[in-house]
Amino acid sequence: MSLAIHYDSTFDGFLSAVFEIYRQHLDVTSFVAERPYEAEHEVSSDLFAQPFHIETSDESARRLKRAITNAASKDVLNLLETCFRSEDAGIEMNILAYLRKLFAGLDPNYGKNPSSLEMIPLITIARSVRREMDNMYGMVRFNKAPDGMYVAEIEPKYDILEMIIGHFRCRYPNGTWAIIDVKRGFGVYYENYKTHFVTVPDPSYISAHAPPDEFTRMWKSYYDTMAIKERINPRLLRRCLPVRYWKHLPERSLPSQTLGNRGDSRLQLPSTIAKSNAVASLMLKQSN
Amino acid sequence: MDLREKLNILGDAAKYDVSCSSSGSKRNSPKGGMGCGHSSGICHTWSADGRCISLLKVLFSNACKYDCAYCVNRRSNDVPRATFTPKELINLTLEFYRRNYIEGLFLSSAVIGTPDYTMELLIKVAKELRLVHHFGGYIHLKAIPGASSRLLFEAGLYADRSSVNIEIPSDKQLQYLAPEKNFASIYRPMNFLAERKLEYKTDKSKYSPKFLPAGQSTQMIVGASGETDFQILTLSAGFYKQQQMKRVYFSGYVPINADKRLPVITTKPPLLREHRLYQADWLMRFYKFEYNEILDEKNPFLDPDLDPKVMWALRHPECFPVDLQTADYEMILRVPGIGVRSAQLIVSGRRYSKIRLEHLKKMGVVLKRAKYFIYNNEVPRELHRLYPEMIRPLLIAGKPKSDQLDLFDSMPVALPAPANNTQTAMPLPRIAQPTSALPITRIAPSTPTLSIANN
Repeated sequence: MSLAIHYDSTFDGFLSAVFEIYRQHLDVTSFVAERPYEAEHEVSSDLFAQPFHIETSDESARRLKRAITNAASKDVLNLLETCFRSEDAGIEMNILAYLRKLFAGLDPNYGKNPSSLEMIPLITIARSVRREMDNMYGMVRFNKAPDGMYVAEIEPKYDILEMIIGHFRCRYPNGTWAIIDVKRGFGVYYENYKTHFVTVPDPSYISAHAPPDEFTRMWKSYYDTMAIKERINPRLLRRCLPVRYWKHLPERSLPSQTLGNRGDSRLQLPSTIAKSNAVASLMLKQSN
Repeated sequence: MDLREKLNILGDAAKYDVSCSSSGSKRNSPKGGMGCGHSSGICHTWSADGRCISLLKVLFSNACKYDCAYCVNRRSNDVPRATFTPKELINLTLEFYRRNYIEGLFLSSAVIGTPDYTMELLIKVAKELRLVHHFGGYIHLKAIPGASSRLLFEAGLYADRSSVNIEIPSDKQLQYLAPEKNFASIYRPMNFLAERKLEYKTDKSKYSPKFLPAGQSTQMIVGASGETDFQILTLSAGFYKQQQMKRVYFSGYVPINADKRLPVITTKPPLLREHRLYQADWLMRFYKFEYNEILDEKNPFLDPDLDPKVMWALRHPECFPVDLQTADYEMILRVPGIGVRSAQLIVSGRRYSKIRLEHLKKMGVVLKRAKYFIYNNEVPRELHRLYPEMIRPLLIAGKPKSDQLDLFDSMPVALPAPANNTQTAMPLPRIAQPTSALPITRIAPSTPTLSIANN
């Protein structure tokens, strides 16, 4: 009888499941992660596999981690965890396939070989998770709340919030800030040099609490001026900055303001430019 | 004038500077302040033209006293002028940084008063950010040509990176287009900063102050004057070697000013040429190529149809096919279709197992290109018997046309075409003809139109 393993969607939970698979010689066809933010009906289940729930056990996860470190290395363990964060469908089976080969012991150098057929796809997945992590360093946008706290909402494809906290702790050590993963309904709150994990059932409340302010609008208009009209290239833009991130970037989601945008000055008539120059010099005089 | 309007004018004036990187500096947040340096740099967003924005790139002022032909801020141009106060700029930087919009400040300026006075203003902003606000983010300061060495040195203490733009790649053209500048006035600050950085480098202590930790960069405009690609690459190779530059940027000339010394104002920016130059630049920086391997006196221009790495491979059939199982890392890097990451994976993995095509595919090697150049049991032998002239059309065939055909390209040209390439007036399709043993010449439908524009 083939089984669909249900576990609690954490990496330790997955490792415990693998541990049990080995201990009880289970025949597995798929894994089902029970994510709190996904409703029951959204979880795709295999019709022909029998569901089988495995509880997370710290002890067995720890033992399996030690076994992986011994058979391969610490780096490989980190790589597997990074892959696991991708939450891709079937990533668990890929990792399990790698572990089976690793523990089979047929090739004593298997753990060191980065170009084995099971390892290369894992390396590519880990690379894209790390790429999103690197992108997210730049794409978190804080809004200032009236109480001085800075709040950001993100919606990453992979579960990378925990991987980026260190960077922001280093960057704003004295501030009070929160980053919320809207898709997964949890966030991190930093205050007085301490980070706390919080669950956020309703993120819309928070974004209403910290609306865009004058600096956000200035950023937006600065962003608009920076584009060189002659070189506009929407395909390149979408490749560098995928559309799925635009929702939480004020420079792409706020309506663009034509006022004060000098980007198209070359397209204006000379008389229009002269007029705006006269206005500018008048304003200069007034401000002095 | 309110701050937002100033920001728009001065950001608009600075946007033609292409330097965007925030890499090369690693620093923890200073005590009591905020901001850190991330060694690989962070892109924060991309503008509509697909260029990355990582720093708040602004001019301190655009009221310039110089009159360089290619520049949007030259004194004879009728554009709105504005000048920040240091306080405004510092506040803006800090607020943007707190919201994680930017990685730091890129501050340049038009020359107001004297070069020394302008430089002093820039330094004042950087100094106050570092010392008063304990700002640990990235600061890129422009070295104003003609500023005294004392000020350049001071700038190096607060900035992560500094740059002097050479703009026009030959001295004669530079003096023609920018009467107030010459090569000597640009090289002097570059050399000065490079020497000081070398002196500071000898002191290895963790606690000693750093001088320009992220080094220097420069930029040149491509397509404003008549330099060849070979001249441009020679110059940039010199910068990498002698001035220890971290980056040399190329900026495809965007016609801003109508000036009889420059290409006509309707010219389109030479984006493809710029792209090929960057590819060549990458070969020098990451693929261990020398500038004179990529181009030479006889072939002074990069090929618009194929990237420079493929061109090198086609000119050197004696080096191929490469056996991935035994070849040096340097040689594997030179195979078209194999990048740095795949090359590293191949080298570290081949000790344990044979590298097969299946592995290469999963690694992301572009087999479409690489198959002509690698030796492998699974690659058909016939591919290795092909002459370079036969491989060339095969490599081009799959690609979309590099330049868009427009109405006038396909029209028969009324003016007499140059004698040596009369056949190019006909837009021939670029279809692979592998059986032909004749050397196939490049077919560029746009050549006649270009030659008319130059006349």
